[in-house]
Amino acid sequence: MNDISRSGFEAAKPVNPDPINPKIRAMEVIDTDFHFTPPWPVIRNYLAEPFKSRIWHYPAVGLEYNPEPANEKPGVGQDSHGTAGTGAEALRVLDQFGSDTVILNPGYNRPMSIFSEPVLAAFCAAHNDYMIKEVFPVSPRLKANMMVCQRNPEMAAAEIRRVGNHSQFVGVFTEFSALYEQIGNARFDPIFDAMRGQDLVLTAHSGGWFNHFSPMFNGARTWVELFGNAPIANAIVHLAAMIMQGLFDKYPKQKVLFQEGGVWWLSDFMLRVDEFYVSAPGDIALTERKLAAGERYLRKLPSEYIMENVRFSTQPITIPKNPKHFGWMLELCRAGDLFCFSTDWPHQTMDAGNWVVEHPGQINEEMQKAILAGNARKLYSRI
Amino acid sequence: MTDFLLCKQDEIQDGKGRAFEAGARTVAVFRVKDKFYAFANKCLHRGASMCDGAIADGGATIRCPWHNWTFHLESGRNVVDPSAALRTFRVRAEGDQLILSV
Repeated sequence: MNDISRSGFEAAKPVNPDPINPKIRAMEVIDTDFHFTPPWPVIRNYLAEPFKSRIWHYPAVGLEYNPEPANEKPGVGQDSHGTAGTGAEALRVLDQFGSDTVILNPGYNRPMSIFSEPVLAAFCAAHNDYMIKEVFPVSPRLKANMMVCQRNPEMAAAEIRRVGNHSQFVGVFTEFSALYEQIGNARFDPIFDAMRGQDLVLTAHSGGWFNHFSPMFNGARTWVELFGNAPIANAIVHLAAMIMQGLFDKYPKQKVLFQEGGVWWLSDFMLRVDEFYVSAPGDIALTERKLAAGERYLRKLPSEYIMENVRFSTQPITIPKNPKHFGWMLELCRAGDLFCFSTDWPHQTMDAGNWVVEHPGQINEEMQKAILAGNARKLYSRI
Repeated sequence: MTDFLLCKQDEIQDGKGRAFEAGARTVAVFRVKDKFYAFANKCLHRGASMCDGAIADGGATIRCPWHNWTFHLESGRNVVDPSAALRTFRVRAEGDQLILSV
């Protein structure tokens, strides 16, 4: 024993702290947004001909802004927290964050901006085949949204029919932004026709904020503008299209999960969409689906479709400093029914589940269970 | 105030951190050249372990490993939101040993 320890100090114990709250590890957690990025050479092996023989590199996509200049982590691109491209790698991250089940989203950066639709469709098929043959067999904890060429609804529908019956595909991945036509438009009905009866959830994930083809994006300069806030506006526009153009009247069982478009705007959205609709419903009858159905109005108030058909993944959650305000926001946005936990690993704003269990005054035990897993279980009949 | 014996100085590498349980607290201790800094290990934002963070700004700040929240090593204050501050603790050397006061 040395002089210091003899002198009566208490000994501090070196530890390797687990940043995940132990309560998270004791509860069921379903991560509804995890970006899975298989190595390109592996995916290329699954490409059909003639694409495999002609495409040696991941196809060029539109210019993209990533968080490196904002978070000062050079060289990592969007994958600020790592990369998982195999089933084993995904399971390792699940265990690290205390997640029981995951829904893997295609992690490749903005494939929808590949200009050639046949190339994009081939890439989607290769990705989906890799999932079926090499990832799903690793563990039943691994579920996924299938990748489709959403720009071409017929191609997307064909892919959904080709692989949609695999039980570990639980949904279809699409993106929303100011650069995409709203997937709520009737033009995309082939996608919903293909999903009908399959219990597949449509994931509408924020995407395409890179600065081309959009005057609004050309005027942006920072990550906070492009990633932090533009997706909120885009989510609102895309959700409104789904509701007001009668998507859920034509496909009443279709479920949709919005991702990374924010959540706290919901309280205003639900009030506003009802207010405007009740005052000015006249042009509902002129939308494609209502013209075809010979219907004049929606069958419900717009906000009612949200409760029935739409859910929202939580990441990146924002939490006000005043706990009372947090409680109000959760209540106004029906968090106990509408929120599904997500990490968005490995992207820069990745959330662990700690926040769900560390505000017991605002999120009681019942709501914790609902957000962490219960709402996802209700949404996804295949989980 | 209780004094805790941490470890020998050379058991913490320059630019790196280690975490210690000192009583009921978990404290991150970092070394920058010959100076030692101690602060609450749990990030104020989402609870990441600050002992896994990175020293930045020429040794003046510590960055959270999850979301880059950046705090001054001396004051514990966030560099862009001074109202958010990690609790800091006094750490001193006695001989080749480090003593933490909590």
